[in-house]
Amino acid sequence: MSDKDTHSESISRYEPSGIEERHGIIPLWLAIVYAVMFVWMVWYTIAFWTDKG
Amino acid sequence: MSTAANTMFEGGRAAPAVASTTGELFDRELILKYMAAGAFWLVFAPTIGAIVSIKFNYYDFLGHVSWLTWGRLRPVHVMGVVFGGFSTAVIGLTYFIVPRLCGVPMYKPRWGHHIFWMWNIALIVGFVSLMLGYNSGIEAGEFPIWVSIPVEIVLCMLSIQVVVTIKRRTEPRIYVSLWYMSSAYIWTAMNYAFGHFILPFYMPGVNNAAMHGLYIHYVVGLWITPAGLAVAYYFLPLAAKRPLYSHKLSLVGFWSLAFFYPFVGTHHYIYSPIPYWTQTIAIVASMMLIIPVWTVIQNFYGTFVGGWKNFQDSYPAKFIVIGALYYLLGCFQGSTEALREMQRLTHFTDFVIGHSHLTVFGTFVIWATAGMYWVTPRLARRELYSKNLAQWHYWLTVAGFSVMAGDLTLQGMLQGTMLQAGTDFVESMVAMKPYWIIRSLAGITMDVGAALGFWNLYMTIQHGKAIPVPAGAPADYLPEPKWS
Repeated sequence: MSDKDTHSESISRYEPSGIEERHGIIPLWLAIVYAVMFVWMVWYTIAFWTDKG
Repeated sequence: MSTAANTMFEGGRAAPAVASTTGELFDRELILKYMAAGAFWLVFAPTIGAIVSIKFNYYDFLGHVSWLTWGRLRPVHVMGVVFGGFSTAVIGLTYFIVPRLCGVPMYKPRWGHHIFWMWNIALIVGFVSLMLGYNSGIEAGEFPIWVSIPVEIVLCMLSIQVVVTIKRRTEPRIYVSLWYMSSAYIWTAMNYAFGHFILPFYMPGVNNAAMHGLYIHYVVGLWITPAGLAVAYYFLPLAAKRPLYSHKLSLVGFWSLAFFYPFVGTHHYIYSPIPYWTQTIAIVASMMLIIPVWTVIQNFYGTFVGGWKNFQDSYPAKFIVIGALYYLLGCFQGSTEALREMQRLTHFTDFVIGHSHLTVFGTFVIWATAGMYWVTPRLARRELYSKNLAQWHYWLTVAGFSVMAGDLTLQGMLQGTMLQAGTDFVESMVAMKPYWIIRSLAGITMDVGAALGFWNLYMTIQHGKAIPVPAGAPADYLPEPKWS
């Protein structure tokens, strides 16, 4: 297991609530959603800045 | 706490170890008072909603008494759900969540009692005022100024309590619930002042409409959403008995919400005289909310993977999971609804009402309910009064709400299509009649479920079977109730 994997699997515990939390990752499918949404945002903002477009 | 209030929660027999609050991290009796008040408002406000919905089917139903007319009751329903039911429960849960995550008691703990009375008296006066016809005219900000002043004071006091408690914390890291909770109070203290003290008095015309769009969406996006997420993020890993899936995702979710939500509100005024580019920014921001919503959903369901057995055995877990499903559906609906083509189809139809119910009730009220189920038996140190009543609460809520949300969405699409095809408006209204009847029946189903559920929680406090407290247990010991 690489350092990166170990880091993402590391668990923090919050006292006194007892809540535990993985450092975690951003899954690939979600990273793709972020990228697609960002591209769409730029395109839509430019294309529809005025009603002349 | 007053003797009368103590008696209320001790019920007919001796309460098991509901000890003095001295030395405890949180005030159990105070939180239980908030749970009881929140439960009351969560039955009251939706019941008003059901009455209002019946007026669609029988137009003169209760129409001869001025204070029971549609225009008076509808704001009571909306303000009742948002500020009565949801907010009262969340404030109570704040007094549990914040000290538990900070490791120190709440700053100025006595304020909690003052706030309880100030808040609930303000709500009562507010609803009576609305029924008497005193209305500021700002949707979701309808309370008249004599109610808004104490509400604003409460929001400022809570902001101070939360922020100072976080500053004094002993736990070095700040869990995501605290980010959402502190932001929700600070944002809302500012937004409430804006919506109640500036908007009705100093902004005329189109500017007022544009700013109202921002205000109403700040109520949803900068109060209900972060406060609801704070509650859900807190109880999710506890109910699932699993570590939260990803700290990294919770960062992305919080900051993307904080960045995009402030621009969303103007999407209420697409095709209006408001400048085209501001409409475009609102549309873009609305669509970009897909990022925080899908991020939260991945985090929630990722947490549950491998822990579904705990889902079956826990009512808080059940409410969180079904709330997350409605969150996904409702927010996707809301994002796409902002697009100009969808606005053309759905504006002025019940599609919009379906969306607001999916998010406000289906998601955030249900998550607050999960929190109430988690804390009430533990703080009262009693078993749940009736598992059957809890089951009825859950399934009547799911069944009634699913039918209502589907019905409103479908009828909105249908009416929008009819209007686009050139159908006369009145004819389109006539075609909606069956859908309105279904909506009323679904709403009544939900209300019955809520009444059973919250009666169950009240009876848990009063007459639930006592859970033994081990000798030497700390003052803030929380027992594990048996859910099944």
